[in-house]
Amino acid sequence: MQIPSALCNYAGCGSELALEAATVGMALVQLKQSNDSLYRSICDETGAVRRHVNLFVNSANIRDLAAFDTRLQPGDVIIVLPAVSGGSTCPNA
Amino acid sequence: MSERVILCIGTKKGLFVAESATKRDSFSLRGPFGSGVAVYTALIDLRDEPLIYASSCNAFFGMKILRSTDIGKEFSETQSAPAFPQEDGRALANIWALEAGNDSTELWCGVEPAALFRSYDGGDSWELVPGISNHKHARQWEPGGGGLCLHTILCNQNRMHLGISTGGHYLSEDGGETFAASNRGIGAGFLPDPYPEFGQCVHKIASHPDASGRLYMQNHGGWPERPGIGVLRSDDYGHTWRSIADGLPSDFGLPIVTHPHAPDTVYVMPLETSTRTCPGGAPAVWRSESGGGSWQRLGRGLPGRQSYFTVLRDAMAFDELAVPALYFGTTTGQLWIGRDGGEEWSCLFDSLPPINCVKVAVV
Repeated sequence: MQIPSALCNYAGCGSELALEAATVGMALVQLKQSNDSLYRSICDETGAVRRHVNLFVNSANIRDLAAFDTRLQPGDVIIVLPAVSGGSTCPNA
Repeated sequence: MSERVILCIGTKKGLFVAESATKRDSFSLRGPFGSGVAVYTALIDLRDEPLIYASSCNAFFGMKILRSTDIGKEFSETQSAPAFPQEDGRALANIWALEAGNDSTELWCGVEPAALFRSYDGGDSWELVPGISNHKHARQWEPGGGGLCLHTILCNQNRMHLGISTGGHYLSEDGGETFAASNRGIGAGFLPDPYPEFGQCVHKIASHPDASGRLYMQNHGGWPERPGIGVLRSDDYGHTWRSIADGLPSDFGLPIVTHPHAPDTVYVMPLETSTRTCPGGAPAVWRSESGGGSWQRLGRGLPGRQSYFTVLRDAMAFDELAVPALYFGTTTGQLWIGRDGGEEWSCLFDSLPPINCVKVAVV
């Protein structure tokens, strides 16, 4: 998993994390067990990916794939990126 | 060490801490803490060794509570922030209120979507308070302009007053176990029923320790068809409310505060309803020394024209020195001090990020 620098600073973690999981959802479960703080920065307490965060598997957004059921192959990279969101509706704009 | 005045200034880009000797001639500024992340509330907790708490509300990566044990020189994250149980289905969107509870480590926290959390260990762990968070009305509350937020928590032993936008005023008389909507006399201009049981857009509630049962409220006013519902007073612990808006240029506004040494003295910042900015571009705080019986404009030192800022609900506060000063922060990033209870204004800081909240204490 690749973590953006803004999130590394916020969650106090490194920029890369090795996970062994068959799906994105299983990878997030593993992340929750190993680094709950980082998990909570990516997913809210309902388990959904935060509104202004996107998860990609390689170059595809998981929302265009099978979301948490998206299957992973050895060597796949889950990329966490903050959305390009701003303007008046974004409280941190 | 001699007494210091500490200001916590929560902004759209982090928390600033300003400090001065009690003469308040000049303030030094440090921060931002939680840089780049909005701070909607702070608490200067003087129950034991001074602690400062602040919410840090990151729209991307979630919420944190920051805590300082050295009067705002450094901050670190508490062990956890409030979070809804997974089965609840709601997700924390913002942290709007932090207040001290009855014992030295109890904290209360009001959040968006409107709910209340309680900590017994100084903010390291939190539990949902079901009496209000799962109230039978809770799923019927609607978001106001600032979101569906529980923004006001007033505690006095077993009595608690909560302000929710838009939910109204809720009262507990059993230490927060159960809550009842207590909105008799509080109007709503945006609902067919002018005085509904609940659902009012309460902006802020203020109390005074020396006036048992007295409360003041800045409600969402500015409705030509329903005049006077914006500024209210209760004399029976919030069971009934009446208008005290007569004499104000507008009954729309966001903050309301009381003078620390005079329970009959109350302050509001009237804003134009349509723009939510200073009437005529000339900002002024308005003071009543008669519990809302009459009002006086306090504008000396403030711009006389071309000034169109907003003062948000938590961005006005008093210090508690013998001759207290009133402070307010603006959405244009100015921090103003009103010496002698607001008689004479001067700008302490001119170019901060937009200011969400101002908290003051003498330490």
